[in-house]
Formats: sequence, structure tokens, C-alpha cells
Amino acid sequence: MKKIMMKYKFGILLVGLFLFVFSATAQRATQLRINEVMVKNMNNFQDDYGIQSPWIEIFNSAYATVNIGGCYLSNDVANLKKYMIPKGDVLTKIKPRQHTLFWADNEPTRGTFHLNFTLDTVKVNTLYLVDSNGKDIIDSIFVKWNGDANTSFGRCADGKDFVKNDSTGELESAWKTLSVITPSTNNTITTDKEHQAVLQKQFPNGIGNAIMSTGAANEKFETNDPLGVGMSATAMFVVFIGLVILFLMFKLIGYISIQLKQRRMMKSGIDSTKAQELLDNESGEIYAAIAMALYAVENEDHDWEDTVLTINKVAKTYSPWSSKIYGLREMPNKN
Amino acid sequence: MGTSFFSFIGENLEEFLTYTGFANATPGHFVMIAVGLIFIALAIVKDWEPMLLIPIGFGILIGNIPFKEVGLQLGVYEEGSVLSILYSGVTQGWYPPLIFLGIGAMTDFSTLISNPKLMLIGAAAQFGIFGAYMIALQMGFEPNQAGAIGIIGGADGPTAIFLSSKLAPNLMGAIAISAYSYMALVPVIQPPIMRLLTTKKERLIRMKPARAVSHTEKVIFPIAGLLLTSFLVPSGLPLLGMLFFGNLLKESGVTRRLAETARGPLIDVITMLLGVTVGASTQATQFLTTDSVKIFGLGALSFVIATAAGILFVKFFNLFLKKENRINPLIGNAGVSAVPDSARISQTVGLEYDRTNHLLMHAMGPNVAGVIGSAVAAGILLGFLM
Repeated sequence: MKKIMMKYKFGILLVGLFLFVFSATAQRATQLRINEVMVKNMNNFQDDYGIQSPWIEIFNSAYATVNIGGCYLSNDVANLKKYMIPKGDVLTKIKPRQHTLFWADNEPTRGTFHLNFTLDTVKVNTLYLVDSNGKDIIDSIFVKWNGDANTSFGRCADGKDFVKNDSTGELESAWKTLSVITPSTNNTITTDKEHQAVLQKQFPNGIGNAIMSTGAANEKFETNDPLGVGMSATAMFVVFIGLVILFLMFKLIGYISIQLKQRRMMKSGIDSTKAQELLDNESGEIYAAIAMALYAVENEDHDWEDTVLTINKVAKTYSPWSSKIYGLREMPNKN
Repeated sequence: MGTSFFSFIGENLEEFLTYTGFANATPGHFVMIAVGLIFIALAIVKDWEPMLLIPIGFGILIGNIPFKEVGLQLGVYEEGSVLSILYSGVTQGWYPPLIFLGIGAMTDFSTLISNPKLMLIGAAAQFGIFGAYMIALQMGFEPNQAGAIGIIGGADGPTAIFLSSKLAPNLMGAIAISAYSYMALVPVIQPPIMRLLTTKKERLIRMKPARAVSHTEKVIFPIAGLLLTSFLVPSGLPLLGMLFFGNLLKESGVTRRLAETARGPLIDVITMLLGVTVGASTQATQFLTTDSVKIFGLGALSFVIATAAGILFVKFFNLFLKKENRINPLIGNAGVSAVPDSARISQTVGLEYDRTNHLLMHAMGPNVAGVIGSAVAAGILLGFLM
């Protein structure tokens, strides 16, 4: 019986080990896909330095976390090892079915996600995602974008090579110029509003290594309020409303406070005229403090004077501690 | 062997030389180093905003030491470098709210509470922000960039850094330097505008002394202030929340140690880090652009508009006030924040015309209202343009 139990436990251990090894192999980079590319970024998404550069989105099509660290990105078939994605950065671990974004800004010193090449806005770019051995191409794409600024070329369904055309029912390439730009999020979202809502919810502090775009808001204001009059009028109105409410509230609080003080004084036997007089006049301490403050301002007292050290010679010619007279034996008394 | 040893040393020295600042320097680096030195000189010799100009000036020197960009993680723009980690307080926008915590803990809102109508002057001076916003749009800046530039007119360094880090991080260095420079230059910019827009009779107006404010009123102010302003403009919460929190620490009377830390060591530490990293962010390659020149021009303009708007608003407001309640328009300039320098200017200019008319305490009202007003304006810009 004991032997059967031992075998049973051994079996569980083996299955466990198998699952562990299997899941470990499943986390290989081969499941990564180039998912969306923007070649000409004029006033769209910004990196964390506030700069708009071309970007490349990578999608992890696996259902396990994949570390892209150690893989390569390149735009040159003769040099597949053009940019090695640094190892040891926790941010290179892409969660299951999630995305990450690389900036093609030719600024590799700006961090893991900044490539050492940029994208050509005239010629067709070819991009390669290469495995950590530097030879096996995991994914590659000819970026056949329509040439317009701020448009992206991507798969209309994340990670898919082909999609079914709804009208013809035939399979066609999933790569298209996307109607909605979706860095670091699903490419299947179709409306701008839905897109913004998902971004806000997923990335309240910005999109991964990118920050939230001001593009949509900019476009709105550029179209509807090119002179900025509408924005200025609205904003000034809100500022005034805020401070007017605060003004009214403290006017009221001040009034209540004065009434309460007056009532308290009257209770202690001071008549209302005298109470009003006392309230109108500040106490002597307040006047003294104001006078001191004004004196300090007029004389321009400041921190610097505190650091002035004045050393005066102390004229101390005599001290009983150093007096030799106490060290002498007393003269014998002849009495 | 001897030859190979010496050639090895020679090669090493040659390579080392390529890493030195001399080998990598460009004229831009020297221009920026000169700017840094001017800032330091202005702070020490002229005593203009030394707490800000010394850290920023020295930061400019740090940021413009040329080096070979080979991933040594030295510069403020290199991920993982010490400077970049310190700079994250600016880019992520958490230094400015901590500065506001300290400002709240050191500000006495009594004059504002005793005479709440002064709050409206603080609101009027925000015209500087939106005037500059409209001009920036005409100069070709995008709305988000124009908003970040306009906030210079709020004359509030932390607010300018907070907003530009969110709306236009690539312009933040120029915006911060411009804001702090003009705050230091307030004694030069404001008096001529104040004299130009007021008559001698108006400059002699004596204001009613402020009434004594009770402890209860002082405690209610930060709580009511937070609730009212943040409900109206939630995007201003990081700044307004910390400002009023700091003030409650001060006024509650039971958190003296916390208030002292906030207005003492905490604000000092953050001021140093903020100043030095903002200075270091002005690397010649990033900073010496035509955009920076335009930003400096717009910054000056926004200060002028803000000062003029504050003064003209007081004059307009006086039309509706009884004679004994009239406000001296010389305190209108204090509506731009720049605490307490702009209030001090009201006092100095006021004394030029009447040696016994002290405007300092009255000017502190619009001055602190300007801080609240610019934080609210920043919240609105953030809400609209983000």
C-alpha cells in the first residue's frame, strides 16, 4: 500500500514537472508578433519625454507571459541584430495577450524601449523581430502604410495574419491602415470614444512607456477654437465661479463669526456699541507683530545675515582659574 | 613588449580623451553654461530668488557637461541614471504637489479670510495665462503646448512644472526656466505697469484694516477651500489638495511638528531636487531651439498681461464699492502668484507715494488667492487639453 502511495506521489511529481517544463517552453518569444506600426507621428502619441516619434507595437499572442528581453528588432535584413532589446528589465516581460511599444527614434540611450533606428517616411520599411539567437526571424512585415501622418498600419485583429471578409466571406490579409490608432491596446476597437475609454481605464497614468495622447483634444480645439477665445472665456468663467463661491462662503462665515463674537461679548456684560468697537480694533499684539514685519521688510532682513559670524576678542585679563596665587603655599603666619 | 605596452597605454589614453567633456563639447554647451553662471550670479549678487536660481543655475551646469552618449547612464535623459531617477519627480509630477504642501503650511490666509473680495483679484490676474494661450496659438503652437506655455502667466513655478509635465513634457525645461526667471524679475516687470495704469489719487487710497480672524475660520478655510475648488475642478486636485492639506496642518494647532516639517525640511529638500533637475533638463541639444526663444517671449508677455489685468480689475471693481471700502489698485499686481515678491512690490510702490500707507498685508490677500487661482486654471487646462 505504501509502495502504491509512493508511486502515486511520484506520478504527480512527474506530471507537475512536465507541466512546469511545458509551460516554460510555452513562454518562448516565438509567439510574439509585430502588431501595429506608425511611421509618421506628427502630433499623435508621445513618449515619456514628450516627443512624437514613429513606434512599433509588439503583441504577445501566447496565453503566458513572454520576456522579449534578448530578442532583436531590425529594419535591415543584412543586420538582424541591429537593436538588442536589453535583458534584465522587468518591463520587457509582456503579459498574456498584452502589448508593448517601441519608439523608433534612434535614441537608444533613452531606455529599453527606444530603438537605435528610425523609420523611413519615403520608402517602404521592412521590420524584423528576431529571436535571441540573432538568426531566427519570429515575425517580419512590409509596412505598406498610406503615407499620411498620424495613421497606423496594423493587424485589424491582434496577432492574426488573416481575417474573414464579412461581405465576401473570404480570407484576406489582416494588415490594414487602421481607422483608429491603438498603441499598446487591442486593434479591434472601432470607435474613437470606445478607444479613449479603454485607454483611460487600462492606463490611468499613461500607456505603458507612453503617455496619454493629447492628440484628440488638440484636434478638437484646433478645429473648433483656433483663436483660443472659447477656451479662455470658459476657463476664466470657471476660475471666477470657483473663487466667487469661495468669496461668498467666507463672507457668510465671516458674518456668522462676527455675530457670535458680538453675542459672546454682550453675554459677558459689554454693550453692543462697545463690542463693535472692540471687534473693529485689533489687539496690541497684532499691531506689534505687523510693525515688526514691516520693519523687517523695510530693512530687507533675510536669511543671509544669519550666516554672518562675528568674532570679537574677549578682553578677559584675569581669571581665578588661571591665577597662580592659588597654587602657592600660604605664607606662615607669625602670630 | 615595451612598445606594445606603450601603444596600449597610448590607445587607452586616446579612447579616454574621446570620453572627456572637451572632446564632446559643442558651442551650445558653452552657451548654456554661460546661462547657468548668469543665474548663479544674479542670485548671489542681486539676491533675486536665490533659493530657486542657485539650484537651477547649478543644475544647468550639471546638465550641460558634455559627455559621450554610450549608455553610461549619466545624463538626465538616460533611463536609469541617478539624474533621471531624481528627474522622475518632475516628469511624473510629484515634486510640485509636495512644494504646495509646504506652501500651504507656511501661508497665512487670514487677510484673504477677513476680506474675501480680494479673492476676485486673484481670479482676474489669471487673464495672463489665457492671454498668453491665445497668442501662443497664433504663433503656431498646438493647443496643449499653448496651455503649458500660458501657465507661465500664473507666476507659480510648481504649477507651471506640473502642467507642462502633463501637457508638453518636451517644452518643460524652457517653461520652468522662463517661469522662474520672470518670477525673479517681478521687481523689474511690474512697477512700470503699475505706475502706467494708475492715477496718483488711486495710489493714495487707504484701505480699511483687516479684522481679526478667529481660529475656527482659519480651520474651516482649508476644508471648505478644498471641497469647493476640487468639486469644481477635480483635475486641480494634486495641487489644491496638498495646498489646503498643508494649511490645515498649520491652522489646526495640533499638528505643529508636521506643519514645521512640511514648511521646513520637506519643502527645502524638494526645492533643491526640483531646481537642480529642472536646470539639468536644459541640455543644450534639447533647450537651444527657436521654441525656447518664443516661450521666453510669451512668458514675459503673460506676466505683463496678468499684472495689467489685476490692476484694471481693481479699478473696475472700485466702481461698485463704497468709498470707505475701496481697494488700492496697487495691490492688483499681487494677483499673479509670485508669493510674496509681488505683494512686496505693492508695498514698495505704495510707500513711494505715501510713507504711511502700508499695503503689504492687503496685498497678501490677492497674492495667496493667485496661488489658488493659478492651480484652478491649471486644473481646467489639464481637464480640457489632456
